[in-house]
Amino acid sequence: MNDHDEDATAEQLPARERRRLQMPRLVQYLLLQAVIAAACVLALLQSLPNPPAQYQVTAFNLTEAGVERAVTLPYFSPLRNAMNDPPRFTGRFVRPAGEAARAWSVFLPRFTNGVEVTVNDVVILDSRRDPAANRPDRNTPAIAVIPASLLRDGDNAIAIRLFIWGPITGFLDRIWVGPDELLRPSYDQRTLIFVTLPVVFSSWQAILAVILGIMWVMRRHEPAYGVLAAAMAVGVGQAFLQTPMGETPFSKLNVILISSAPLESALVLTFALLFSGWKWQRYGWILFIPGIALALGGLFGNQALSRTLFLVLAVPMVGISLVIMAVVTARSALKRQNVASFLLGCAVTIMLTCWIADLLSVFQMTPNRIFTARLSYSVMLVAIGAGLTWRFARALNQVDGFAGRLVTQVREAEEKLKASFAREEERARAAALARERTRLMRDLHDGLGGQLVSIVALSERGNAGAGIGDAARAALKDLRLVIDSMDDIGGDLMLALGSWRERAMAQLRPHDIALDWRAVTPQGLPVHPELRPWHVIQIVRLLDEAVTNAVKHADARRITVRIETLAGADGLDRGCITVEDDGKGFEIAADGAAAGAIKAARGLRNMRSRAARCGAELELSSCAQATPQGTYQGTRVRLTLPHRFPDSDGAAG
Amino acid sequence: MNSLNDEPKVEAITVVLLEDDAPTLWRLQDALTKAGYQVRAAGTLAEARACLAQGAPKVLLTDLQLPDGHGVDLIRETRQRFPDTEIMVISILGDEESVISAITVGATGYLLKDAFPTDIAATVRDLVAGHSPISASIARFIVRRTQNTPEPPPGPVLNTARLTPREIDILWGIAKGFSYAEIASHLGLSRQTVPGHIKNIYRKLEVHTRGEAVFEAVQQGLIKL
Repeated sequence: MNDHDEDATAEQLPARERRRLQMPRLVQYLLLQAVIAAACVLALLQSLPNPPAQYQVTAFNLTEAGVERAVTLPYFSPLRNAMNDPPRFTGRFVRPAGEAARAWSVFLPRFTNGVEVTVNDVVILDSRRDPAANRPDRNTPAIAVIPASLLRDGDNAIAIRLFIWGPITGFLDRIWVGPDELLRPSYDQRTLIFVTLPVVFSSWQAILAVILGIMWVMRRHEPAYGVLAAAMAVGVGQAFLQTPMGETPFSKLNVILISSAPLESALVLTFALLFSGWKWQRYGWILFIPGIALALGGLFGNQALSRTLFLVLAVPMVGISLVIMAVVTARSALKRQNVASFLLGCAVTIMLTCWIADLLSVFQMTPNRIFTARLSYSVMLVAIGAGLTWRFARALNQVDGFAGRLVTQVREAEEKLKASFAREEERARAAALARERTRLMRDLHDGLGGQLVSIVALSERGNAGAGIGDAARAALKDLRLVIDSMDDIGGDLMLALGSWRERAMAQLRPHDIALDWRAVTPQGLPVHPELRPWHVIQIVRLLDEAVTNAVKHADARRITVRIETLAGADGLDRGCITVEDDGKGFEIAADGAAAGAIKAARGLRNMRSRAARCGAELELSSCAQATPQGTYQGTRVRLTLPHRFPDSDGAAG
Repeated sequence: MNSLNDEPKVEAITVVLLEDDAPTLWRLQDALTKAGYQVRAAGTLAEARACLAQGAPKVLLTDLQLPDGHGVDLIRETRQRFPDTEIMVISILGDEESVISAITVGATGYLLKDAFPTDIAATVRDLVAGHSPISASIARFIVRRTQNTPEPPPGPVLNTARLTPREIDILWGIAKGFSYAEIASHLGLSRQTVPGHIKNIYRKLEVHTRGEAVFEAVQQGLIKL
């Protein structure tokens, strides 16, 4: 119920800053409420359409407490209780000749509390028999057709007895006596507004009570809904129960319920407070004291007492509740800027305006007595319904958004997990490889390696064994390469080249060939996380081949290895390794293989296939002709590494 | 490199050579003797200990896998008894497994068994001059141990905590195949100081006593007390 997300940004601001920001909003809000109140007053000032004035009867002789005097309707009786000796209004009206064919009626638009109408000394209407008409808070009109036999052409006598049983003073509005067809539309309109419409709204209130009750049952942690459901239920009970005229236990209960307005307003106020984020406190029971006092008065006193209490307790309680609600909803609407609070605030303004109008009417400060507070309560019901729907729709949207976010998050988490799993797998694989390498190294060290070393040593003792020694040395070199390439170098090919440089130097030293090592770019080669041992072994063997060619066939004196990172045309960095010698070159045949020596040709083919497997580009340039100065341009092997090494063997064929 | 023979010998450098494979022993002995070193050869740990009993050699060259024990024990003993003796391990493959385990007990270099005779003599001469040899793969192994990984890679235990960032930079340079001159110019050092740094690195990787080894192991969380 607390939409804290909405005022999260406001919460973070210092209090003064927040107040400064809210000032224009407050002014705006108050202006709007003023406009609403003004519109309300304008609407209340509109008088309801009345029947033709010619049928209006206003001049009466009033007999009240034994005193007779002439009065003009509408009349406010100062009496609060006059059941046994009610004020009696006597008057006359004229039915023109020739009207006998039309039905005539007496129309009383408004009276409190009950009337008994007599025409020519015959009672034609007693409103006390109409339960709806007995409730002073309803503006129930009354109409009665005068039996044709009673009427005479010309003067007719009409007498009205006004029964007053409180809680407010008696009142009799102007009356109309005339053709029924002319009076009835006005009566029907008043019935529609003051009788039918409240029933419709009470039904709506009943539906709200059920909806809110269900809401509260499903969401016990939001007591505001429960409180509002209770308020609605009380309101429904109040609307559909009828004022009893006798004194029975049932009627007492009835009276309590009918006078439940303070209880209902206390409940609605509690709802408004809870809705605006207030936490229920023990002192909250103060709100219910008027309602409880009224109920106790009704239970232990008589109807008259509860009616008096109603005026003293209920009416101010409703007003106080409305004022507090106006403040609370205004604050809530300003702070949270949500539609529900705003709607509620507007409804409260309308109700407050109507309540003040009613109060003026009770104290006879307005010429009429039409109570609108109860009717305006329907605006509140509409606001509650609209607010609920708005909250529901918003919650649905939030759920949708949340679900969407959740899906995204789950997908992200899944991807992260996958990546982490892949990393873990990779690490486990690397660890397994390292263990295997260690084991293999021990085995080779203990067995093959030692034997090869012995062969080298033995071949050196005799002069004939030079070839055997070279072969054994080459085997040892290869063994070291194989083991070295199995090491996890974390994708940094430079680490593999570092070892290769050592081996190449050891190989070249006896031949007196210098190895010129140039890392042109400071970082050397780009790091390739996807680099696998088999890539390393292919690249290192390819470089070995290039160096061996230079030693065996080119008769070179200097070999230059250049390592650099080149920015490609596509903006991606590529490593490039160039092996250059200053020896005799060879002619490269059209098919890319070396023309001439079969062995050298095979070597070149090997290099190409190794490069292709790694997705690298191999570029060979060689020139067999010597320059005029007698030096050779030599052979250049240029290996451009791929931006990304292939996962599987590129040249399976 | 062959010039050592021609230099005037002020004092013959004594070398104790321990290698169980006879042809290899002969080969190494030949290379060293020809270079002018005074070589005492041994085929077993017992013979080597006897040789050492005659007095402290300048250099001890030893294989690790021996018929009557492991070379690591001899290195540790020698390091304690003769702190001035330079110790080098003879390795077939120059692999980190053997070299690092020798370094942690006090060796400051390694020698490949199939190295050419001239290289053998040059390596020993450099060692005596205070230049410890290091290979790219050994440097790689050490720097990878300086990186924090959730589980230590397989191989011998190594405490790299005492290495300075500069020393680690030097090791990276070596691992990537840069020459001492290149490393020196990259790091703003004098070329001559690089070999000294390497010897320092070896010294820092050494675990001096068993007690210290236990302490190191506790420090690294390898042993829980």
